Amino acid sequence: MDLSLKYLVYDKDNRHHRMLRRGIIAAVSLVVFVLIWWNLSLLLDNPAIPTPQTTWEALVFLFQNGDSISGMTMWGHMGISLERFFSGLLLALAVAVPFGLLLGYSDTLKEFSSATLEALRPIAPIAWAPIFLFTVGYTWGPILVVFVGIFFPVLTNTTFGVKKIDPNWVDAAKTLGATKVQTFVKVMLPAAVPYIMNGLRIGMGVGWMCIVASELYASFGGGVGYFISIQAQMGYWPNVYAGIVIIAILGILTTSLADYLHKVITRRMGIE
Amino acid sequence: MSEKIVINHLRKVYKTDEQETVALEDFSLEIQKGELISIVGPSGCGKTTLLRLIAGLMEPSSGEVSIGGKKCTGPGPDRGMVFQEFALFPWRSVRKNVEFGLEIAGVPAEQRRKTAERYIRAVGLEGFEDHRVHELSGGMKQRVGIARALVTKPDVLLMDEPFGALDAQTRNIMQGELLRIVEKTDTTILFVTHSVDEAVYLSDRIVVLTKRPASIKDIVNIDLPRPRDRASPEFIRLRKQILTELEDENVRPAVNVEALNGGK
Repeated sequence: MDLSLKYLVYDKDNRHHRMLRRGIIAAVSLVVFVLIWWNLSLLLDNPAIPTPQTTWEALVFLFQNGDSISGMTMWGHMGISLERFFSGLLLALAVAVPFGLLLGYSDTLKEFSSATLEALRPIAPIAWAPIFLFTVGYTWGPILVVFVGIFFPVLTNTTFGVKKIDPNWVDAAKTLGATKVQTFVKVMLPAAVPYIMNGLRIGMGVGWMCIVASELYASFGGGVGYFISIQAQMGYWPNVYAGIVIIAILGILTTSLADYLHKVITRRMGIE
Repeated sequence: MSEKIVINHLRKVYKTDEQETVALEDFSLEIQKGELISIVGPSGCGKTTLLRLIAGLMEPSSGEVSIGGKKCTGPGPDRGMVFQEFALFPWRSVRKNVEFGLEIAGVPAEQRRKTAERYIRAVGLEGFEDHRVHELSGGMKQRVGIARALVTKPDVLLMDEPFGALDAQTRNIMQGELLRIVEKTDTTILFVTHSVDEAVYLSDRIVVLTKRPASIKDIVNIDLPRPRDRASPEFIRLRKQILTELEDENVRPAVNVEALNGGK
């Protein structure tokens, strides 16, 4: 009896206690949020603000049976959105990382491309959605919007990473006989990885907004954004909310994934 | 690695829009195989410039460096370099840092590993092969730096204040270690230092530089047997002689003498 009581006292030096504390606070915060939502929906009595309960029921139904308009379950829509998201992400990495490294390396290239890049950078990625959807269709359109959203943060951070490289590392590589290409691959690329990861972390948040927003534009092709858009047109509000909940959860998962990768890789690279 | 290193009338001028600054003036030196030569000079006189010119990390304005009669152009593994701030690759383990030069040269993995292990043992780091750089102390880091530079069997090892970032005690240990490594590997060394004490302890010859633009003021032969006793009258006499030569080079000795003694 005495023993169990000891564990009830909060010990801030105990890691498990700290984790439990954080978990409880987060849970309480979520409960408060849901209660406020619930009260608002009852108070306002507006069909566009369903209660958490009806939303939950809609969500369960959508996962099990899907909706009548698209004929797909929520799993299907999630799969489509995630596939587009990660395609855009990979495409952005494949282009932005080598380009960013070169930009950090070559002043000529930087001078050549900076005017164009600076003109394109401030454009909200979603502004490209109508054009991309029209030109490359309902699968590649959203992928390209995600690409634009992730491209710039990764590019900027990669270039910054190259600029921050300890010049002694490059000198050391040179005195050990490294050619320009070898220095690039064996020193600059690994040294820039933590910065690339930071760009990726920022980019993934942007990219997730891009995928949903571009799907909202689309009138075909599936995806969570598309699902929300058609359900709203039909006035099936609990379904709209179910879609929003899914977006929130997937958003949290993707950013946590990015945070985790950033932490692991940065530690692995020995650079804090 | 049996070649004589000849530095011929090396000169370096830095150009800016307004003016030209001569950093190094007419530096000539012949280094025999297996020699350990220290370079001392007033703070900011151009010691590092000299080393970077020899390493090929900088283009001289005139003059040249040759090894065994062959002119050096650009950096190469025939001139290894050890940096004051270690310049180790933090994303690589100790082993992978040491293997870097062999990797660049395209040596097969198995042989790379063997050679690297031999040099890791030579610098006294056996058991730390798979450690990461940030887990090592300053002295251990510089041991890795030395092993990494030695692994390609350079004709000369260029050391730019290699123990300048270490505390006094570690520094003395590393000086002893360096002499042990040199004896084992028969390496030729050009050693830049702030510390006259260190120079007298280590060197076969000490090159004393003038203030900017740096040129050779004096070359002092140190014939003391090793290991040297820092408290012996002969050691102290040589130390004093070189310190006096350096003081003559300083416009404001009150400030600069302190800087010269800073590392000892």
